[in-house]
Amino acid sequence: MDELATGNKALPTFRKEGDAILLSLRGEIDLHSSPGVRTVLLDLLTKHKPKRLVLNLAEVPYMDSSAIAVLVEGMQKLRKDGGKIYLTNLQPRVRGLLEIARLDTIFVLVNDEQDALKK
Amino acid sequence: MVQHHLELKLDSDPGSLAAVRKAVEMFSSNSGFSEKAANDVGLCVNETLANIIRHAYSGKTDRPIEIRVEAHDDRLIVLIRDWGAGVDPSTIPQPPYDPLTPGGVGLLCIKKLMDEVSYTPQSDGMLTMMVKLRT
Repeated sequence: MDELATGNKALPTFRKEGDAILLSLRGEIDLHSSPGVRTVLLDLLTKHKPKRLVLNLAEVPYMDSSAIAVLVEGMQKLRKDGGKIYLTNLQPRVRGLLEIARLDTIFVLVNDEQDALKK
Repeated sequence: MVQHHLELKLDSDPGSLAAVRKAVEMFSSNSGFSEKAANDVGLCVNETLANIIRHAYSGKTDRPIEIRVEAHDDRLIVLIRDWGAGVDPSTIPQPPYDPLTPGGVGLLCIKKLMDEVSYTPQSDGMLTMMVKLRT
């Protein structure tokens, strides 16, 4: 499937596969970049109403609580439409933060994008 | 006794967060703290600064913040001074943390990852102190 541009360097492209949207986030996500990520993410969810949002975090070495808040907001929006959020390729610091926030058992953590598409 | 220290002055601009966090992590690491401990301190400094920017300074990006990090024999002490609203975050009534509701993760991190945290109101702002013990 073709990659479509978002205009945001933290998540520059996305693609659709069936009822899923797949995104790769890039770089460190903190209060500086999270508002832009939030805008793009919520806009994609509103426009496409996917049943699955797959976020590849392989290139995200660090995120802070403002990024977590964006993910939770996205998850809540997806849930209203009967969808789920899948996270893949978590780096150690990101996984640690999800554990502190007790979100490691709430988001669906999968090994890679293909795992998410099979579920 | 203070072995050495780091002092930083910055504006309340979110664009400064990453550089400050990395400077604190490097100082912590160079002071003999483990990578995990240095990362914990960096995250908590990030979260404290983000709270100051959002709440004490209501998102204004040109207000002053000063940071002093002291390496002691048995601990790292982080002092963060702002000239904002002067509200002690620990006194603000908050509902129990709910992972399904956005918000609250920053203070949760600070409580969990640092060994001591205190907020001392100043006549013109707030002094936040965080302590990480050597293990």
